[in-house]
Amino acid sequence: MVIFLGPSGCGKTTLLRLTNRLDSLSRGNIYINSQNIRDLNPVKLRQSIGYVIQEVGLFPNKTIFDNIAVVPKLLGWNKEKIRKRVDELMHLTRLEPDLYRRRYPAELSGGQQQRVGVARALAADPEILLMDEPFGAIDPINREQIQNEFLNLQAKMKKTIAFVSHDIHEALKMGDKIALFNQGRLIQYDTPEVILTRPKNKFVANFVGADRALKVLGLLHVRDIMNCSPSNIVDAAQTAPEVLKMLEQKNLRYAIVLAQGKPVGYVTSQDLKYEQGLCQEVARPYPLCLEQGTSVHEALSHMLMHDLTTFCVINDQGDLVGTVTYKSIQKSLQDFFADDAEAQ
Amino acid sequence: MSTFDFIINNYRQVIYLIGEHVWIVSLALALATLIGVPLGMVITRHKALAARVINAANILMTIPSIALFGLMLPVLSLVGHGLGKVPAVTALVLYSQLPIIRNTYTAIQNVPPAVVDAGKGMGMSRWELLREVQIPISIPVILAGLRTAAVMSIGIAAIAAYIGAGGLGVLIQQGIDRVHQEMILSGALLVSVLALVVDGGMALIERLVTPRGIKIQQPRPK
Repeated sequence: MVIFLGPSGCGKTTLLRLTNRLDSLSRGNIYINSQNIRDLNPVKLRQSIGYVIQEVGLFPNKTIFDNIAVVPKLLGWNKEKIRKRVDELMHLTRLEPDLYRRRYPAELSGGQQQRVGVARALAADPEILLMDEPFGAIDPINREQIQNEFLNLQAKMKKTIAFVSHDIHEALKMGDKIALFNQGRLIQYDTPEVILTRPKNKFVANFVGADRALKVLGLLHVRDIMNCSPSNIVDAAQTAPEVLKMLEQKNLRYAIVLAQGKPVGYVTSQDLKYEQGLCQEVARPYPLCLEQGTSVHEALSHMLMHDLTTFCVINDQGDLVGTVTYKSIQKSLQDFFADDAEAQ
Repeated sequence: MSTFDFIINNYRQVIYLIGEHVWIVSLALALATLIGVPLGMVITRHKALAARVINAANILMTIPSIALFGLMLPVLSLVGHGLGKVPAVTALVLYSQLPIIRNTYTAIQNVPPAVVDAGKGMGMSRWELLREVQIPISIPVILAGLRTAAVMSIGIAAIAAYIGAGGLGVLIQQGIDRVHQEMILSGALLVSVLALVVDGGMALIERLVTPRGIKIQQPRPK
């Protein structure tokens, strides 16, 4: 998935429209699978490319079913095949077929309409998808959700996607690569990591923003930086003096208490002094545990909010798989920008 | 009450004249639709032409009907139809062009550009786009144009009695000639009733053919 990113009027939408020949090329060529699009029939070309636009552009006179079935019908599929395909797509885009098949676009919310728009573009299973700010008109909460859904979908589909956006966050989140444009020119074409850590010039640096270190954290996941074998683990059944002794020996400030592999909380040497019972009884519970797929950005935010420098990372069963500390975040950032320092 | 007596006493003639009136208007409307709707669609593709066509239709509208009948007399006389139903229908076709062309043009123009773009982008040909999307979305407005044209034509057709086209205008014309008040009134009354009935009927058709998805969009039809 390539994101075409840039300020308004930089030509990213035009590039998309040139690709399916809604606008015509004055100079230069575009090749799809080494075939010049000038040599292809525009109507056939467009039928073979999925197209999603910000305004969605569903046909208000047609039901959801008929909207999704447009391209298969143009291609002359038989009814049974169309019906199966539409149901499949509605499941894929999380629209209950029996509930929505016969509804009209005006009866759907903006987010649902855009899902139909995506389903419609995928109908004939095109290899290429052109998306022009597809989630731009959706409110931020729903946008986040539909972006995630779409990423999951893309993980299964593995389509070639050209995705226009003017939102750097969306670009960093969605893109395998980002093509940054300004005034009709391609400025930089790189992975999100490289765009953030090694912006090519001042324009790129300004566009990604002064908080690019924080944005890098958004690209990293907890699983990338966590310590998988922390040494400060104690079992809930151990007694307070035992744990205190261990802490002093290893020169640690605190220990994480586990019960059957699940984190219960943490204890400091302060908590353990003068205690005789099980360490479990004095453990302070963690306000929350992180999942492996959580972004480091979010992990840092939790640290700031709860005034804790360590969090436990758990798997789907709730078992501890590692820890994330403030230090490990700092270190991962340093590693990230190390290339940057060498380059300068 | 004597107006009603007149209608009842002459019901055979009245029914005949109503039939004749409806015949002239329907024929004219059918022809006008066949010309005006395609023309209105064609000019959405040629903006320069659009202004000229709509202007021409506007000018036609300003010519008083009596004058138009007069103007057509020498022209249609060349083919032997200077008087009667031919010039009447011709005039009605010309008058109907403005509401029909203008409404068709506006309706097609007002189909949201995003919808048209999406259709094109998915690989619909011009004709498919027109048939599947643009016409269904435009149909309520196009029909509203036909409705205006129909009501207007019923009124103008009454005047066509003066060039021997027949219809309910005959009652008015002869009533004036004979200073027969009940006759004039019954003619005028029947023309009005006919216009109201047709207007209501077309409104009903409009509602019936509007795609459901569009009705949901605009819950109150204009």
